[in-house]
Amino acid sequence: MNRKNSVFDGLLNDNTVLSSFMVISPIIICGDTLRNAVALIYAFSAITFLSVMFGSFVPQKLPYALKIIIYAVISSLVYIPVRLAAEQFFPDIIPRIGIYFMLLAVNSLITVQTEAKFYRMKRGRMILSLIFYIVGFDTVMLITASVRELLAYGTVYDRIVDADILISGLGKPFGGFIFLGLFCGVYRKIRFMANHLKGAN
Amino acid sequence: MQKIKKSERFVWIDIMLTLLAIEVMQYFYYGIRVVVLSGVCAFVSFVAEIVSLNLVNRDFTADDLTCISDALIISLMLPAVIDFRIVAIACVFAVIVVKNIFGGRDNMIFSPSAAAYIFMLVSWKNQVLMFTEPHVRTGISEKAENLVSSASHVFNTSGRMNYSDFEILMGNMRGAGGAVSILLLIVSAVILILRRDISFGAFLGTIFGTAFLAYCIPVCRSKYDSVKYMLVSNMILFAAVYIISDKRIAPRKNYYAFFYGFFIAMFSYILLLKTEKENIIIIVSVFFTPVSLAFRNFEKNIEFSETEGV
Repeated sequence: MNRKNSVFDGLLNDNTVLSSFMVISPIIICGDTLRNAVALIYAFSAITFLSVMFGSFVPQKLPYALKIIIYAVISSLVYIPVRLAAEQFFPDIIPRIGIYFMLLAVNSLITVQTEAKFYRMKRGRMILSLIFYIVGFDTVMLITASVRELLAYGTVYDRIVDADILISGLGKPFGGFIFLGLFCGVYRKIRFMANHLKGAN
Repeated sequence: MQKIKKSERFVWIDIMLTLLAIEVMQYFYYGIRVVVLSGVCAFVSFVAEIVSLNLVNRDFTADDLTCISDALIISLMLPAVIDFRIVAIACVFAVIVVKNIFGGRDNMIFSPSAAAYIFMLVSWKNQVLMFTEPHVRTGISEKAENLVSSASHVFNTSGRMNYSDFEILMGNMRGAGGAVSILLLIVSAVILILRRDISFGAFLGTIFGTAFLAYCIPVCRSKYDSVKYMLVSNMILFAAVYIISDKRIAPRKNYYAFFYGFFIAMFSYILLLKTEKENIIIIVSVFFTPVSLAFRNFEKNIEFSETEGV
């Protein structure tokens, strides 16, 4: 099996956040509680999946610059119903997320990876690969938010846990940046060791 | 190269000696808890250094012992009664996140102690800025009571310092152990400058900048008092000796280092007047490290162009 072309790459080997350091700002700024994380996961998953799917019907013969503009227009249109639904599901969270909710509409998975990766695949494979890329982002968001919420506020999904010492700095953007940086470091170390082991075998 | 390494180790020994002298003074004021606090800092930093170097496949050498001097600097910026777990987390943060992730002691971007202090200030502000009175000794496992704000906080908010000159010199005032031992800090500064262990330019720039602004824009009625109290409060002297003048970070040439220190003093003074936050010079010193890096690059470019010209 060619590892580079695996549909599971988006989850582990080529994780959008940990490997490419893309779409990090919502995680750093808003990924400090699980409630925020769930809202962002919903928004990211819905906008990205629908935008990439609709975008795949854009003729590939069009000039690159024009296609990128069309993708952005499509994702902006997808953003509208997703936002309206989000206001019903997460009425308290959306104002807290602020501009980062809107920025998800032009995330790099839609604007960059579509042309570079997804639209070069067959449709069925593309859908599978896209789902794993989205799940990869969602997993990182969930892990980051749960750890930060636990350590910074001593809660898990707003339920107070018996945390003896709190590091409130982790709830701040700089804390998120540091945590994500460490997470990336650990991820890369594990990936390197796994590849090394595979090579040895 | 060997000579440079040797001199770096002598610098570390000199700094350690001055820090230990301040530790002894703090033991006199706050008892055994200060010593245990410093021990915890040194031990955790040492272990974190070994573990993090091991993770990046590097050997621990005598040069890496700078983590212990950084740990002592951290402990001297804190109240004696602070929770040991907080300082342990801060030391791990200083060694792993601030120092070794950016490439270790050869590629220092921030002062580990200053960055760790800011981290603690953001995460545990109340514990970092509340102190016991001098001569109140707290046991190792005791929980401190009757905590008070530092003398710097009172000075920032009221413009008054209710201590005699002798008390200020001896460090017999409320505040972080190391930061208030003014006489010892002056002696340490003189020793470290004469032995060329710290950047004289950066030290002079910081002191001159603070004194100059305190004279021009006084915070008290008397300009003399303004200069005097500004220099002994808000960790100005401590930061000038151990953080801003750190040769690992400050520009190499005294001329540039002076302006580096002067800018830090100027901005911290303005921010202090605006916000009344204590120890703001530590925060400013971290934010000014890009300035130091720019000065260092500038120095390199000048050296390069000079050698090319020759």
